[in-house]
Amino acid sequence: MRRPRFLRKGSVQEDRAETPVAGRFSQHTRRVALGLSLAGLLIVMAAGLATRAVLADRDPTWEHIRQSGTWRVGMDPSFPPFENLDGATGQPVGLDVDLANAIASRWGVRAEIVGVGFDELLDAVTAYRVDSAISALPVVEHRTREVAFSAPYVEAGILLVALRENAIAKPEDLAGRRLASEWGSAGDAQARALQRELGGNLTLVLRESPDLALQAVLDGGADAAAVDAVSLALFAAGKDRLITIGEPLQSEPYVIVVPAHAPKLLAAINATLADLAADGTLAAIQARWLEDGATR
Amino acid sequence: MVKSNRVWGPLICVIAVVLLSRSNRPWVEFGPPQQVVSVNPKIGVHTRLTDEVEPWKVQRTWEMVREMGASWAVEYFLWAAHEPARGVYDWAHADLVVDHATNQGVKVIARLGYVPEWARPPKSSPLLLTEEHYVDFARFVAEFARHFRGRVQQIVIWNEPNLSQEWGYRPVDPAAYTAMLCKAYAAAKATNPDVQILAGALAPTLAPPGSEWGLNDLDYLQGMYDAGAKACFDVLAVHAYGWTFAPDAPASPDAVNFNRVELVREIMVRNGDGDKHISITEGGWNDHPRWTKAVRPAQRAAYTVRAYQKVLAEWPWVDALSIWAFRYPRPARTYQDNYTFVDGEFQPKPIYLAVQNYAAGREEVLP
Repeated sequence: MRRPRFLRKGSVQEDRAETPVAGRFSQHTRRVALGLSLAGLLIVMAAGLATRAVLADRDPTWEHIRQSGTWRVGMDPSFPPFENLDGATGQPVGLDVDLANAIASRWGVRAEIVGVGFDELLDAVTAYRVDSAISALPVVEHRTREVAFSAPYVEAGILLVALRENAIAKPEDLAGRRLASEWGSAGDAQARALQRELGGNLTLVLRESPDLALQAVLDGGADAAAVDAVSLALFAAGKDRLITIGEPLQSEPYVIVVPAHAPKLLAAINATLADLAADGTLAAIQARWLEDGATR
Repeated sequence: MVKSNRVWGPLICVIAVVLLSRSNRPWVEFGPPQQVVSVNPKIGVHTRLTDEVEPWKVQRTWEMVREMGASWAVEYFLWAAHEPARGVYDWAHADLVVDHATNQGVKVIARLGYVPEWARPPKSSPLLLTEEHYVDFARFVAEFARHFRGRVQQIVIWNEPNLSQEWGYRPVDPAAYTAMLCKAYAAAKATNPDVQILAGALAPTLAPPGSEWGLNDLDYLQGMYDAGAKACFDVLAVHAYGWTFAPDAPASPDAVNFNRVELVREIMVRNGDGDKHISITEGGWNDHPRWTKAVRPAQRAAYTVRAYQKVLAEWPWVDALSIWAFRYPRPARTYQDNYTFVDGEFQPKPIYLAVQNYAAGREEVLP
């Protein structure tokens, strides 16, 4: 039957207009059917959500760590003081090794360090060849579908550094002054960006290494330096005369990498990092490897 | 007259919109043709525009390549992208890339490879080309040569076939590569006799015979000559990475450094091919702070400028030095980022300014 144009399909009007008696029966049936359909839909949705919650709660990586008593940690031991091979023992040593051991110890498991090339570390996590990667790794934004990143454990970004007695409180105070950095480094890029922001009213002092840039500040050859936090931490001579100014010019937090579908492992890492920070263990590990006179 | 303008104005706008929307190419203003100004006509770079989708970024890339003083650029054109189905060609993106390069006065060296799904087994590597599909690849090379006749003069056949990974994760085979090369050479010359075919593009590696990773470039090149490659290329493409060595570090079969090119050249001469030239289609130094094969940024800039000087002054048999890599569309967040000359936002790195200063003939190179 051709439906009149003014009636919407499925409307009550339509039923009444076309078959009045059958329409009332049909309407009741439809209401029952609609109710059943809605109930069914709700059941399916609830089941789906429950399944999803159960699946989301499942974490095979974490289960494997708990069952095996071993946490496989990928690391490229070529970046001291975070990780390198000890000359005498041939074993990996460094801040990241200590951190892995400290976390594993809190969990009551053993950290097994697995050597993986730097550029393959995230792929190794994605392929479950290792449970996690700790190797002075930054957050890689375009990989967040495949891996997840922990809270930071070290800030390795570009810092603005000046003499304690220097009246520099913020980057803008460098207008008309001299800023040192390693030529061509990330610090150099930040220095040039700041120079543009200040309309060119900033003199760049370019040196061949971060240490020489910092030395320029100590020697009076520059008013401040833009260097990475790790270079600053490892800079030995006269560091007590230097202070960092404000927030990092460019943040570069190092994080622990886990598979994307390892929520329990990620939560456990973040909780343990918080514990290690709260009780001073993390600071002690950082001091051991990054402070002046560190064991390295 | 006023009434006429009221009619024609909107009509012209509508026609313009319709025409623009019908265009196969994203529209950007090409501007007047430019020329590269440089003291060294052998300066080149390897660009990475394969996955750069925004036309203005393609254009900006070529502008900056020209402004740096580079006359040559190697660019990768994916067979899979340009022949998505057998015999069906889509040159839209390639045209965009080549036309903007041409407009900026930069000569494109086209690197061809990357096998479409229809020309390889299911779920196989896109770098796997089996013998029965050599003819398909040769036909694609010929079509490319025909389409870009007058715009692209040089074509590189495959990339680093001496590495297992680049040979579809199979044991490398110089004779098989040569067979593919010869088919591509003949097909390309048939459609465009002016095109120059570049062979090799071998990876500098020390891998010994039998290695699962590949075969060192010197043995592989000799294998190519033994298989008859001499008649199947016009120029040899060479990759010349310096790792931690200065550009003047002496060549040695057991070292990967910039001067390894001289050993490649010796093999060519030994095989009676000394009249042919070399084009260095990849190379350079890396300044990642943690990579063991990297140097400091200032060293990288100084080495790069010295390398350009060297090919101009000391290697008359080298046509161009195209250093890897000009810019990535987005950061890789690996050591690869420390090969580039400009960042993803087109901010020039100091090495870019150093090469620019050198190309402009300025005395002070490091900015």
